[in-house]
Amino acid sequence: MTDKLLHAPPDLDLFADDRPRLPDALSRRIDADPESVERGLAQLVLTIVELLRQLMERQALRRIDGGTLSDDQVERLGQTFMELDKRMEELRTEFGLEAEDLNLNLGPLGNLLDP
Amino acid sequence: MTRTAAVGGREVALIDLVDRLLAGGVVIEGHITLAVADVDLVYVGLRALVTSVSTAEEKGMLPRMGSAL
Amino acid sequence: MIELYAITDHPTPPLPQVAPLRLVATGDLAAICAPAGDDGVSADALWRHEAVVEALMEQRDLLPVRYGTRFDDEDAAARAVEARRDDLAMALDRVRGAVELSLRVIEPGAPQAGDGASYLRDRRRQEDARRALHEPLAAVARAAMTRPSPDRSELLRAAYLVDRDAVEQVTGLIAQLQAANPTLRLLCTGPWPAYSFAEA
Repeated sequence: MTDKLLHAPPDLDLFADDRPRLPDALSRRIDADPESVERGLAQLVLTIVELLRQLMERQALRRIDGGTLSDDQVERLGQTFMELDKRMEELRTEFGLEAEDLNLNLGPLGNLLDP
Repeated sequence: MTRTAAVGGREVALIDLVDRLLAGGVVIEGHITLAVADVDLVYVGLRALVTSVSTAEEKGMLPRMGSAL
Repeated sequence: MIELYAITDHPTPPLPQVAPLRLVATGDLAAICAPAGDDGVSADALWRHEAVVEALMEQRDLLPVRYGTRFDDEDAAARAVEARRDDLAMALDRVRGAVELSLRVIEPGAPQAGDGASYLRDRRRQEDARRALHEPLAAVARAAMTRPSPDRSELLRAAYLVDRDAVEQVTGLIAQLQAANPTLRLLCTGPWPAYSFAEA
């Protein structure tokens, strides 16, 4: 097997992972202890919050494009999204969840959140 | 290619490999040692979800957006 | 216990010698497996598994199987494959003659927005940049999908299903997109088996 790089910039370190993800990725899935149950719950709730956040952000950008919002409204909207973004990150860290975890697989319908 | 560069490439490609091996590929029912717990978690989660949304609101996990929009 | 590597057509060319592989046939599909090791989930174990799938891919079209899929024995595996036969047959046709390319795009030193208006402007800019990169590639690929990015410095994490003989054309396009976007960094890895397109 070659090193799989088909197109790479010289500063490869940008694409390296500083988080030791592998053991976590697996143990998160196979533990069935109470902490995992709580995490599973948080995962569901945060996934829905993330869905709402994406929808609202998209809506906000559309309104801004439409030019129907005052500068003041745009500023307040942006601030709210900034805070929500930060809060989501805190909650994810609190429950040991990665961005990739905030999704629901709906079987044949694919994933709930399609970035 | 120097040895350092080769190691770097592998390290970087590992991220893409993990995305694929652990979250991609065909899922065929078996002793998927990775996923057994997932099924239980989702089941528990769904039942508890109805009561958990109001709790999430109380704890301020869901944003109040009214006036901003 | 046996471990599954891939699903392919039956009959299929002789299996490579990279592992004690066995063919478990059910009708016109076959699962390719080997005795399960006690490998955990280390980078080495993943790469070893991947090496087997890629060796298989040299001589045939296949659907890669999710890592860690194990059965008590070949009969159990055959039954499980049979249970999903129609889905698997359709999926195999979807990826026939194609491989997967991975793309990640990073914006190094992306400025952190201080105020709300800048935040939204940045989001808009990033969304536009994402689309400008993803759309031309999706257009030349057989199929395309995106994954969530771990943080805001990564603009795009995508996979493209590309005809085997179109890989060079697509990497050429990526090189062009890189040249057109000097403030971004594009990384393309592959070719991979069609992991991201194996399930509908």
